[in-house]
Amino acid sequence: MSPKAVQYRANSIIFFKGDKSEWVYLLNSGKVSLNYVDVETGQEVHDLIKMGEFFGVKSGLGRYPREETSVVLQDSGVMAFTPAEFEQLAAKNTRIITKMLKVFSNQLRRIHRQVQTLLVSDAQENPETGLFKIGEYYLKNKRYGQALHAFKRYLVYYPSGSYAGDVTNKIVQAEEFVSRYGASGPAAASGRAAPAPAFDEPSGGPSGASAGAQAEAPRREKTAELSDTAQQYYNAVSLVSQEKFTDAFKAFKKILEAGGDQEYAAKAEFEMAKCLFHLKQYDTCVRSFSAIVQKFPKHPDLREALFFVARSYEEKGEAAKAGGLYKKITTMAGDDDPIVRRARKALKAMEGEKA
Amino acid sequence: MSPAPDLSMFNRFMVTFRKGDIIFCEHEPGDTFYLIQAGRVQIVRIIGDIEKNIDILYPGEVFGEMAILEEAPRSATTIALDDVKALEFTRENFEVLMMGNPAIALKLLKLFIKRIYDQKRRFMILTLGDMEARVADVFLMLAENQSIDTSSVDSIDFKTNVDDMSHWAGITVAQTREALNHFVAQRRIELHPDRIVVKNINDFARFVNSRRKHQEK
Repeated sequence: MSPKAVQYRANSIIFFKGDKSEWVYLLNSGKVSLNYVDVETGQEVHDLIKMGEFFGVKSGLGRYPREETSVVLQDSGVMAFTPAEFEQLAAKNTRIITKMLKVFSNQLRRIHRQVQTLLVSDAQENPETGLFKIGEYYLKNKRYGQALHAFKRYLVYYPSGSYAGDVTNKIVQAEEFVSRYGASGPAAASGRAAPAPAFDEPSGGPSGASAGAQAEAPRREKTAELSDTAQQYYNAVSLVSQEKFTDAFKAFKKILEAGGDQEYAAKAEFEMAKCLFHLKQYDTCVRSFSAIVQKFPKHPDLREALFFVARSYEEKGEAAKAGGLYKKITTMAGDDDPIVRRARKALKAMEGEKA
Repeated sequence: MSPAPDLSMFNRFMVTFRKGDIIFCEHEPGDTFYLIQAGRVQIVRIIGDIEKNIDILYPGEVFGEMAILEEAPRSATTIALDDVKALEFTRENFEVLMMGNPAIALKLLKLFIKRIYDQKRRFMILTLGDMEARVADVFLMLAENQSIDTSSVDSIDFKTNVDDMSHWAGITVAQTREALNHFVAQRRIELHPDRIVVKNINDFARFVNSRRKHQEK
């Protein structure tokens, strides 16, 4: 089978809205319009198909009822493809698909936004609380590995968030349980009904966790060693959440100087620079962040680093430098980025002061 | 299901997860998407006190693809059900992948088509002002997703619950419960802990259509 060429007279209809058919069409000559009612505005829309353009792709490939009525405005020649024939053609010419992907991703983005605007805000959970609750769920259900993952992600995104202290304690608990029972909890580790630990039992702290690990096979020791660094890091984050910035700074510095786990060392360096801001050491804060940004030009938290530099300048009374940086941050990501929103707010506040 | 295409040239994008590992959490910001090469991936959402299974994906399937469209938080949690090997893609390497591999490009095209359709359907539900009509329309959508021809059946058993219905209807759990209780009182549905029986789906179709027509006026 190969695609067939079909001629349509002016004023004829190729398909009606609601029809079920799998044909995908390519307009070769003439003039065809797709007519439909826009769901958002309720207006009737007439989309003209360009010569060489495909139509009926979504309903054809997706096997959904047609969403438009296609009206032939002038005598037209089209090629009709079955989904298999269309796929064969597209496989040889990837540009057809990439072009369509762009069109469809725009449509998807648009409809996604429309849906979001109609959702009542109270049905949406704030991401910070949501992430915390996921950790809570897995901890409660003794799936410690998964609880640990969720809690650690929480601290990555919200190191001084409202649950940070609580999360730090729960990480200690979860790590202890993982070292005792493995990531999937007591039942999976032993295959028999092991005594289930109450998740609210007091945590043994870092020494308890490593002691538990040492009692097991030697290969566990490495994990215990790694988690010691993690432990120190989460303890330091906990100090930040209690606003004990001097102690937190010292704790992060210790991690950095120990030079163990590179990931935690880098995170500690970043947090140290933030502590400097809270300790009102603005010049040192700016220098520290500049050094970090120089070392890691593509740092995942680049926006946050710049934000603290901008705030330091603002505190020092260098409004022009601060304003310039805030503006730069707002161009670095979309409006749904929390740092962008904070930068925009800061800019507005600065303008308010001027007026 | 078609076998996973040979993607050895993309090995530098390969990531591995151990059985039980969380790949990403709901609510986390996301900028990567994945194509499974080996192992299964479970998609779940924690709703209240239950972990609800949304789907289980197999080699050759894609997940997390909304990340290349929007830097929005992840809408579900993904967990490795086996040891999983996957190709990890970002906005940056996305074009390279598409140009080099039409099979994946086609797969993604079909996925986008399905997502557009699902979102449009959801939008239609959300445009209904009447809460009960929204809940009824969610039942119609669930029937469509299961390819049930509503004109040939009456009673349908839906494996769903109040939280789930509330999510789709875009109204609070309390509002959803109220609407469902009213339907129970009218003997239009039966509420069970793990399922809801709609006694006459065509009755709901007529109800939703009349509300929609009424709104258009």
